Amino acid sequence: MNTAYNFAFFDEGSKREIRRATLKAIAIPGYQVPFASREMPIGRGWGTGGLQLTLSLIGRNDVLKVIDQGSDESVNAVNIKKLVCDTTGVETTEHTEEATLIQSRHRIPEVPLRKGQILVLQVPLPEPLRYYEPSESQTKKLHAEKEYSGAWLMLFEQIMKYGSMTTGADHPVLVNGRYVMAPSPIPRYDNPKMQQNDALILLGAGREKKVYAVPPYTKVVSLDFDDYHFQPESFEGKHCRLCGSTGVFLDELVDEAANKTVYQCNDTSYCLEKLNEVEKVGVN
Amino acid sequence: MKLDAVHYLQAVYRKMVDSASRPGHISDLRKEAGLAGTITGCSPSLLVMALTLLDQEVTFSVISNQADKVSKLINQLTYAKQTETAYADYIFILGDASRGALAEAIEKAKPGTLKNPHGSGTIIAEVDSVISGDPLFLTGPGIEETETVFMNVRDSWVEARRDKNREFPLGVDLMFIDQHHQLLYLPRTTQITESQVVA
Repeated sequence: MNTAYNFAFFDEGSKREIRRATLKAIAIPGYQVPFASREMPIGRGWGTGGLQLTLSLIGRNDVLKVIDQGSDESVNAVNIKKLVCDTTGVETTEHTEEATLIQSRHRIPEVPLRKGQILVLQVPLPEPLRYYEPSESQTKKLHAEKEYSGAWLMLFEQIMKYGSMTTGADHPVLVNGRYVMAPSPIPRYDNPKMQQNDALILLGAGREKKVYAVPPYTKVVSLDFDDYHFQPESFEGKHCRLCGSTGVFLDELVDEAANKTVYQCNDTSYCLEKLNEVEKVGVN
Repeated sequence: MKLDAVHYLQAVYRKMVDSASRPGHISDLRKEAGLAGTITGCSPSLLVMALTLLDQEVTFSVISNQADKVSKLINQLTYAKQTETAYADYIFILGDASRGALAEAIEKAKPGTLKNPHGSGTIIAEVDSVISGDPLFLTGPGIEETETVFMNVRDSWVEARRDKNREFPLGVDLMFIDQHHQLLYLPRTTQITESQVVA
């Protein structure tokens, strides 16, 4: 542990400011609370919002897991984990169940979150209305008036142009029947996991200087229409080439040598756990 | 004060997060309050909460018979500025405040604006107990079905709170800290009923 820095990198004043904003965010689910967003030793837009939330929350007894697009070992995840560990000395894990604090970029883990865990999501664009309204003061007004026809119109236009909603990731959700919220660029597959989740979900956007939250057991509904329902990605008939799992979010890979498409679990730690389970059975 | 400002205030904050995200979940601040030592005027648990949240960027007001003394103490320890209840970011209501002080503070506290609902006041009140007394049934975000808490409700704050929080997202968030340093957090989204209707 590097003792040249204060515990968890930040000075106490910075932590307090983020903490005050976070408590407000929990009290107003889906509302983007502005915060000061400190300069971090990683570039803005590389997870500084999530990192600041993690650093303001973390204590000596926490067990940290950091994932980036489902992987524990990608550059972004490893660097964030290193920075947090270096300044706090906390234990890290790859097992979702063991973690008390999970920072994630663009995925909600496959293993269901449990009570007492906190999931921190990194958010590049926290404003779901930004696609059609560039002015911050106008989007604040639209949120204040619960004027979300533009959000539905955006989806409507996609249906008119392409025959279905083409959001891919970051499909907007309605939180607690009040605020339309960007769930961060998680795949549509993960949107239903936010609904009535057992864990607290905090979302941080460092560059855009916003934090927001989805408390446990909160109603989170993906925007859709009566005749065009929200549809998560379907992996019907497909399975992971390594562990054989079905019913999980799969990455599509092209094996160029064999010229065929293969699928693999996106959540690497889940895949590894499944593989280890299989091996244990084999040994016995 | 033997309190380690880094680690113990982090612990207090995490307990606040637990209680805020699961209204009805009672957090125990005995350890942190014990380390804060004896303070005249307010309970040590209230003081550690003030130390966790307050600094020179926010304002506060104290409602108590010893308001001046406690305000001075909080100002000296946190550098937060004292102001009137109607403008305060944090409002502390001490155990010796008059009956009806909580309802009055809820009424006066700033509720935020529709554009900036986070500009609302937060009330931190000392009460006798948050684990015994009359039952209050809670529903809302953070609660799976219903939570029941028991409190000695001395005045008509439940009604005042309901009026104040009528137009979500406007409203005030409440924290109760009892004599045994148990914390109850009631964010504005929590609906309180005093009697449960059996269907």
